[in-house]
Amino acid sequence: MPAAPTVEAMMLGKLDWSAIPFDQPIPLIAGGVVLAGILAVLIWVVVKGHLPYLWHEWITSVDHKRIGVMYILLASMMLLRGGSDAIMMRIQQAIAYQSQGYLPPEHYNQIFSAHGTIMIFFVAMPFVIGLMNLIVPLQLGVRDVAFPTLNSVGFWLTATGALLVNLSLVIGEFARTGWLAFPPLSELSYSPGVGVDYYAWSLQISGVGTLVAGINLVTTVLKLRTKGMNYLRMPMFCWTTLASNLLIVAAFPILTATLAMLLLDRYLGFHFFTNEAGGNVMMFMNLIWAWGHPEVYILVLPAFGIFSEVVSTFSGKALFGYRSMVLATMAICVISFMVWLHHFFTMGAGPDVNAIFGIASMIIAVPTGVKIYNWLFTMYGGRIRFATPMLWAVGFMVTFIIGGLTGVLVAVPPADFMLHNSMFLVAHFHNVIIGGVLFGAFAGFEYWFPKAFGFRLDERWGKLAFWFTFSGFYITFVPLYVAGMLGMTRRMQHYDVAEWRPWMIVAAIGMAVLSIGVICQIMQLVVSIRNREALRDRTGDPWDGRSLEWATSSPPPVFNFAFHPDVRGEDAYWDMKIAAQQQSLEHEEPEYHDIEMPRNSPTGFVCAFFATIMGFALIWHIWWLVILGSLGAFATFVVFAWRDHDEYVIPAAEVAAIDRVNLEERRNLVSMAGAI
Amino acid sequence: MSDQTHMHVEHDIAPGDEEQHSVGERIIGYVVGLGLALLLTATSFFIAGTDLVWQPSIPVALIVLAIAQMGVHLVFFLHITTGPDNTNNVLALAFGLLVVFLVVGGTVWIMSHLNQNMPPMDQFIRMHS
Amino acid sequence: MSMTATVGRAHADPHHIGVVVEHPGPAPKRTVTAYGFWVFLLSDIVMFSCFFAAYAVLVSQTADGPKGSEIFEQRNVAIETVCLLLSSFTCGMASIAADVRNRFWFYLGMTVTCVLGLIFLAIEFREFADLVSRGYGPSRSAFLSAFFSLVGCHGLHVSAGVLWLLTMMAQVFAKGFRADVLRRMMCFALFWHALDIIWVGVFSVVYLLGSGV
Ligand code: HEM
Ligand SMILES: [Cu+2]
Repeated sequence: MPAAPTVEAMMLGKLDWSAIPFDQPIPLIAGGVVLAGILAVLIWVVVKGHLPYLWHEWITSVDHKRIGVMYILLASMMLLRGGSDAIMMRIQQAIAYQSQGYLPPEHYNQIFSAHGTIMIFFVAMPFVIGLMNLIVPLQLGVRDVAFPTLNSVGFWLTATGALLVNLSLVIGEFARTGWLAFPPLSELSYSPGVGVDYYAWSLQISGVGTLVAGINLVTTVLKLRTKGMNYLRMPMFCWTTLASNLLIVAAFPILTATLAMLLLDRYLGFHFFTNEAGGNVMMFMNLIWAWGHPEVYILVLPAFGIFSEVVSTFSGKALFGYRSMVLATMAICVISFMVWLHHFFTMGAGPDVNAIFGIASMIIAVPTGVKIYNWLFTMYGGRIRFATPMLWAVGFMVTFIIGGLTGVLVAVPPADFMLHNSMFLVAHFHNVIIGGVLFGAFAGFEYWFPKAFGFRLDERWGKLAFWFTFSGFYITFVPLYVAGMLGMTRRMQHYDVAEWRPWMIVAAIGMAVLSIGVICQIMQLVVSIRNREALRDRTGDPWDGRSLEWATSSPPPVFNFAFHPDVRGEDAYWDMKIAAQQQSLEHEEPEYHDIEMPRNSPTGFVCAFFATIMGFALIWHIWWLVILGSLGAFATFVVFAWRDHDEYVIPAAEVAAIDRVNLEERRNLVSMAGAI
Repeated sequence: MSDQTHMHVEHDIAPGDEEQHSVGERIIGYVVGLGLALLLTATSFFIAGTDLVWQPSIPVALIVLAIAQMGVHLVFFLHITTGPDNTNNVLALAFGLLVVFLVVGGTVWIMSHLNQNMPPMDQFIRMHS
Repeated sequence: MSMTATVGRAHADPHHIGVVVEHPGPAPKRTVTAYGFWVFLLSDIVMFSCFFAAYAVLVSQTADGPKGSEIFEQRNVAIETVCLLLSSFTCGMASIAADVRNRFWFYLGMTVTCVLGLIFLAIEFREFADLVSRGYGPSRSAFLSAFFSLVGCHGLHVSAGVLWLLTMMAQVFAKGFRADVLRRMMCFALFWHALDIIWVGVFSVVYLLGSGV
């Protein structure tokens, strides 16, 4: 069969000019525009001389706040990419009634696969991980995460994954298998191209990054709390962070193993999931969903935490039922590992297995319901301020209840036999993911932006963005519920059923409204940056917050806190404010000490550079480059291990200078509040 | 807050670290661990190859022995104990084991049911040819 | 500001538990590092559990190829097991030596550990090569796919461990028993011992139980 390899094949593997889709204008133009954009930014950076700043302050930074911001930036950019995919699909389904529409099937299939992959792995994940990175150390009252350099490695590996997925736009192709690459379709015999390899290697590499982030945050929460920050005094967001990252640590290895098996099938002719030689495709469904269901809670738990913070702050009250909230969070953390079969009720496990997993799926809705009631009771009797973050929170509660109810509906096996893989299912998970995770991410973004950058976001544009997104969401996804009940299945490139057509058109209109929401969000950013002086937050506490992140200035100094705060109860910062007011602030100067902080390190960036090379080479079967890439990655770690100084010292005088400003502003704030 | 007594606790120790022991005691710990591990291993290999025990009990016995040996390793080599300063280490271990149990047990259970209800492809093909 | 609205919460801790155990603050670096690595090991074990599950599901799918009982050689496995158990012991000795900063015993312990690891790998490699040469490679049947991946994954971990071990010796040689080197040594020991635990699963489930199928 295979002829003796030519020199070219040895040098370039499967790569040649046919990999560039000259005959397909849409991906080529899209890729070209993105490439031109990146180039333009790069040139601008170099010409303006920002490169050193970028390198020293961001790329090599191991500061959790910077890394958090970069995660969120990555997520936002990928949101635009995934959003473009969504717009294209909605337009296709609106016009492809008894016609081929404008997207050929092989292209349409790549788009829905890329859309799902990008939205879950490169939007939702980095967004929530970014927010956790940014805020959790501040809320715990500590100076950094447990493993700062590893944190940077994690981020850059995630970026590598995103880069590879987007590279598939211009070099080669992406998977046509859906976002979970079910075999046998994803096996070599049915997907001989590089699409599935792009998919699998991007996820393997970014998966390492996610695992690293998970380990880091678990350790941070469990081992690095400030003095007096007992478990039952941690802000809710820290609890949900703990739960979510425990799930990452326990579930992502399952994804890694499953994808590794698929890759072994594809690269070395193994028979895990093939139709031949005893392979079992159903085992793939089983394993991937054993990761997949915990994954949805990995995403939504941090969002629950954000809403808890937001609801309590903007209601001016402590969170109602804090302990039941903690219990519900940890219950979800465990139960989410017991329901995965509800994703393949129809695969034939039989009534006994289906019944048990169906019941478990209904049980998991209970702690979720507890949370909803707690938020409602927190609001009850509070003095609610409907600032933008609070709007997202309230919008979430309404939307998520609907999504949860439809979830419980499809968790009933007989009902699921009707609704499985229909548009109803598509509507369900967008209902929970957009209404839960994305609304949560936006709420967190609006809420903590002033903390990260030192100025608030424009409220008018923020509210516009909320209302457009909120209504756009319903106009888009309610029709999908209807279409699902009319029998429309998911992932259709064209269809011949007249009853579905109107709903697809409405959904496309909804998508337009949603897009206006996104534009408003961008406008909000632009307007706020332009008016940043007017929006400046000098107090560090723009929302009258309750937890420790508001106890330091905005943006916080690298070391976050001049002293590790001493915590005496829940809502630590709130108590400090009250105490300060009652005793009137003592004005004596505290004694400052030198602070040791971890030094910047290019390890993450260099490591990701080699990972990119390695991933690309693996996808295209360029074996010598694979070896080179792995050697490079190993060398990077050895060089890092050889460093002699991994910390630098901020002298006490400098700490004092920075902290004095902060204290002064805070005194003004407190005395002002006292006067009212 | 006057009705509350405040009390400081020490930190948990690191997984792998032992409580204060002399070098001699530590070495003895490893020797005991090695001895027990070798003993359990030998038993496993013996049971697997012998006709002296009731055959259907062999799989169960092997699994029990394996779990026992893992316990020996955890205690004597990784120094995971039930002491109060080990709480976090043990809790993490418990969570990990729960997940392992759910994934392995769940997979075997689910897949065996699927196999009962739907014969694997090659049998299916054989049935029809 | 609405700060005065709820001053009523005089108690900082609204839940009267009586005794409040005050958290002492951030843990020392050694604990933090080892704990993080411990969490990583647990995740690694979960990854292995997937391969174990796959093996259990596919063990009877031999596609008319060989069964486990036809290809496993108990004697080899026993030697491999003894190698790993002894190496766990010597690794423990090396950790003690590192803690008391005794270079000689450290190098000796690590070298023996390394040699035992290499013997293990050599035996495993020979077993694999032998199977492949007889036409019983991983693409022969789903059972063999699962076998090769599970055992091979453990073997890859051991190889990585050997590489790490050599790096550790080089670090002690170049940097001495510095605090960060000691922290890494501790993680390495945890890693090596954990591989042993996984091997216990491998020889019990794959070789001993697998022979019965
Ligand atoms: C209230 C608890 C929930 C229940 C009972 C539930 C139930 C279900 C069920 C039974 C399915 C499979 C339906 C089918 O394939 O026919 C499903 C699919 C899905 N759910 Fe949920 N769900 C819940 C919450 C969530 C949450 C919170 C998220 C995400 C944050 C989520 C995301 C998804 C996704 C992504 C899918 C489909 C994936 C695919 O097939 O491609 N669900 N849900
Ligand atoms: Cu699910």
